Amino acid sequence: MTTSQSVPVFKVNNRRQNTVFAVLIILGLVFLSMFLSNNGTTSLIVSGSILEFSFDKFSLFLGAIFCVSLFVGLFPIRNENDIGEAFPLYIAGAIGIILSNNLLTFFIFWSFQRSIPAFRFIRGMRYENFSTGGTFLIQHFITFLCLIALIFLAAQSGVASMSFSQIPADFFTWPVLVLAFIIIYESHGIFPFHSWVHDLVGNLSWYKISSLFLSRAGVLLFVKFLLPTIDQDPDIFRIILVSVSILSSIYWTVRGIFEPNVSQTTTYFYVAQSSLILTGLQADMTAARGAYLHMMVISLSGTALWSLVSYVQRYTSIKRLNQYYGLAQYYPKLATLFCLFGFCMIGTPLGAAFVVEDLVINGLLDQHPFLGLGHILATCLNGILFFLVFSKLFLGQSAYPQKIKNYDMTLTQMLPYVTVLLFMFLIGVAPSLFLENLKW
Amino acid sequence: MEYLFLSLLLIPFAWICFLGLSFFARINFPENFLSESVKWISIVVSLISLSLAALVLMNRSQPVHFDYPAWIQIGEYEFKIRFLVDLVGATYALLTALLIGIIFRFSRSYLHKEEGYFRFIFLLSALMLGLMLVSFARSLDLIFAGWEMVGTTSVLLIGYFYNQVQPVRHSVKAIISYRFCDMGILAAAAWAHHYMHTTDFTVLPKLLEDPHILEAGHGGPVALTFIGLFVIWASLAKSGQLPFSSWLPAAMEGPTPSSAIFYGALSVHLGPFLLLRFYDYFVHFPLLLWVIGIVGGLSAIYASAVGRTRSDAKTMLAYATISQVGIIWIEIALGFTQFALFHMVAHASLRTWQFLRCSSLIQDFFENPVVQQNEKIHRNLSFEKFVSKPMRRRIFIHALHGFHLDFFTQKVLDIFSWPLKVYIEFEKKWMSMNNNVVKFILKKR
Repeated sequence: MTTSQSVPVFKVNNRRQNTVFAVLIILGLVFLSMFLSNNGTTSLIVSGSILEFSFDKFSLFLGAIFCVSLFVGLFPIRNENDIGEAFPLYIAGAIGIILSNNLLTFFIFWSFQRSIPAFRFIRGMRYENFSTGGTFLIQHFITFLCLIALIFLAAQSGVASMSFSQIPADFFTWPVLVLAFIIIYESHGIFPFHSWVHDLVGNLSWYKISSLFLSRAGVLLFVKFLLPTIDQDPDIFRIILVSVSILSSIYWTVRGIFEPNVSQTTTYFYVAQSSLILTGLQADMTAARGAYLHMMVISLSGTALWSLVSYVQRYTSIKRLNQYYGLAQYYPKLATLFCLFGFCMIGTPLGAAFVVEDLVINGLLDQHPFLGLGHILATCLNGILFFLVFSKLFLGQSAYPQKIKNYDMTLTQMLPYVTVLLFMFLIGVAPSLFLENLKW
Repeated sequence: MEYLFLSLLLIPFAWICFLGLSFFARINFPENFLSESVKWISIVVSLISLSLAALVLMNRSQPVHFDYPAWIQIGEYEFKIRFLVDLVGATYALLTALLIGIIFRFSRSYLHKEEGYFRFIFLLSALMLGLMLVSFARSLDLIFAGWEMVGTTSVLLIGYFYNQVQPVRHSVKAIISYRFCDMGILAAAAWAHHYMHTTDFTVLPKLLEDPHILEAGHGGPVALTFIGLFVIWASLAKSGQLPFSSWLPAAMEGPTPSSAIFYGALSVHLGPFLLLRFYDYFVHFPLLLWVIGIVGGLSAIYASAVGRTRSDAKTMLAYATISQVGIIWIEIALGFTQFALFHMVAHASLRTWQFLRCSSLIQDFFENPVVQQNEKIHRNLSFEKFVSKPMRRRIFIHALHGFHLDFFTQKVLDIFSWPLKVYIEFEKKWMSMNNNVVKFILKKR
C-alpha cells in the first residue's frame, strides 16, 4: 500500500456551503422532531387560497430523509465538492413538493424544481454546445402538459385546490389514472418514461440529481393522490403499475451492467432500486411499510454511494469502468464504506434492506404471485450490478497505478457515513423498533 | 440444550460485531491476538457443538424446536424466529465448528504476515455464523439469511487477492451464479408463504398430507411442485451442479484454506443440506426426486470427465467435489438420506484434508506412502480403458472445453440481452433526435 500524500485543496465557496448545511440541519431537525412527536392522526395544514402544505407524518418522513441524506452525502466531502449557486433552489423546490397537499401546490413546485435543470439544459444547448438535454426537456414538457391536463380535469370536478385526502374516489376515472400514471412514473424515472435520466449524468452535479430524486415527487403523488382510493381502481391498472415498476428495475439494472460510465452506472443502480419502492407501496400495508423503509435505505445509501464515487472521481478522474482500477489498495476505508452501503441496498442479512425484501416480497406475493417473482429477479440482478461496479472500481490492478493518488478518507470524514451505516444495521437487527413508527 | 444452541449463534455474532467495530475504530490487532482468539473461539464452539450433538443422540435423535418472539410483526404478518435442533443440524454444526477450527489453525501459518489476515478472519467468522444459522434454521426465511451470509463471504474470499485481476473476475462469476440461484430460495420462501402460509419445513410436508391443500385455493399441485423446484434451483449454484458448475473450479483463486472450507467442505454441501431439509416435502412429488437424481447424475458424469482433463491440483479437486456432491444428490433422490448425511461429513472431511495438503502435493507424491498407494489404486481402477480409443479422444476434446458450458451460458445470456441491446440502440437514436429537435427550436428563437 502506498503511503498517504498531502491532500490538495480545492476551491470551494465556504459561505454558500455553510448556509446549505445550516438549512439542511435545521430543516432536518424540525422534520425529525415533528415526525417523532406527531402521533400520525393529525396533520398541520398551512392553507392559502391555492397553496396548501401539509405537515403530516409521511411528508415529515420524506423531508427528514431528504435533509439527512443530502447532509450525510455532502458534509464529509465538503472540501472536495463545491456547491453550485442554484442548489438552494433545488432544495426549495424539493421541500415544496414534499409538503404539498393539493394538486395545484404540487404542480407549482414540481414545475419550479424541474425548470431549474431545464433552464440549465437550454442555456447549455444554446451557448455551451451541450450535446444532450433534449430528452429531458421534451419529456418534462410532456409531463408538464399532463399535469396541466390533470389540473384541468380536477378543476372541472372542483378538486384542483382540494386536499389530496378529500378527493372523492369517483374522480379517478381512466383519463385521470392514465395522466397520474405518466406523471408519477416519469417523475420517478421509471421505464418507459425514463430516458431523461441519461441526460442528467454528466451535465448536472451528483447532489443536484440526488435532490431531484430525493424529493420523491412520484412517490408523494402516488401515496397522497392515488393510494387512498387504489382499492377502487381497476385491477388491470394496479397490475400495470406493479409490473412496469418491476420491469423498470430490471431494465435499469441490466442497463447498468452494460454501461461503462461510472457515474451513469451508479445512477442506474440507484434508479433501479428506487423503481422498486412503488411496487411495495401498491401491494398491502405490510409491503407499504417495507417500501417506506426501502425509501429510507435507498435515499441514505444511494446518496452516500454517489458521494463516495464523486470523492473518488475528484482524486482519480476515473470516468469509465472499462478496466479494473484496484482502488481498494489506495482507498481501503472508502472501499469498505462503499461495499457496506452497497450491501445495505441489495438486501444482505443484518442490513435494513433484508427486512425490506422480506416485507415487500411477501406483501407483493399476497397480491400478485407471479409479479412477486419479477421483484425477486430484480433484487437479485441488483446485487450483481452492485458487485460489478464495486469490483471494477475497487478491486483488481490498475493499468496506470501512477495516476492514482492515495487520499483515503479520514476518521472525521468517515464518521457521518459510519453513523448512518450503524443506524441501518441496527434497523436490520431490530426492525420492529422502527417499523412501529412507519405508519400513517 | 437451548443455551448451548444459542451460544453457537451468539459467539460468532459477538465476535464479528467486535471485529467490525474495531475496524472502524481503526484498532489494528496484532496477528497473534487474532489467531489466539479464533483458536479459543473455535475450541469453545467445537466443544459446544459436540455437546449439542451428544445431547441430540442421548435424546434418541428426537428433534427439539425452539420458538422465539417474532422478529418482525406487522398486522397479520410475522417473521418468526424458529430453530430446530436435530441430528442433521447438529451434525452439520459440529462439522462446521471442527473444520473451521482446523482452517483457523492452518491459516495461522499459511497466511502468516499476510496483509489481509484480519479480513480473512472476519470473513471466516461471518461464514461460521451463516452456517450455524442455516444448520439450525427451521424456516426458509431464516435459512435464506444464513445462505446469503455464506454466499457473500464466499465471493469476498474468492477475491481475497483483490489486487489481481483474475481472482476478481472469478468472484464476479461466482456472485452471478449465486444471485441467480438465490432467486430460487427467495421464490420458494415467498411462494410457500403465499400458498401454504408457512415456510417452516417441518410443517410443510404435514400440510401436504391434507388432501384439501392440493386444491386450487392453495395454488394446486403445480404451484406446490414449483416450490420444490425453486428449492432445487437454489441448491444448484451452492453445490456447483449443472448448469452452474463452471464457477466452482474458477473459485479456486482464493487462498487455499478458504477453498478448502468453502468448495471442498462446507459451502458446497449446503445444497445437499437444503435438499435433506426438504426431503419430506419432495417425497410427495416424485417428479422432484427425479429432477434431483438426474441433475446429480449428469453433474457427476460431467465433472468426472472434465476433472480428468485438468492439470492443476486444486481444479481437479474442485471437479472431484462436484462429482461427489452429484452422487450425494443421487443418494438423496433415492431416499438414502442418512447415508447422504454420512457421505457429506466424510466427503467434507476428506476434501478439507486434500485441499490443505495440495500445496505440498509434489513432496507428498514422492515421500508420502499413502499418496503413492492411492496413485497405484487409481491407475488400476481407471474405467477409461473400457472406452474405445476414438471415443475416448472425442470425449477428451469436449471435456477439455468443459463441454462448452461457458459457451452455451454465454449464448443464453446473449439471447436474453438481445432485446435490450436493440432497445438501447433505439433509445440512443431517439435521444439524438430529441436533441436535434430542441437545438432546432432554440436556433429558430
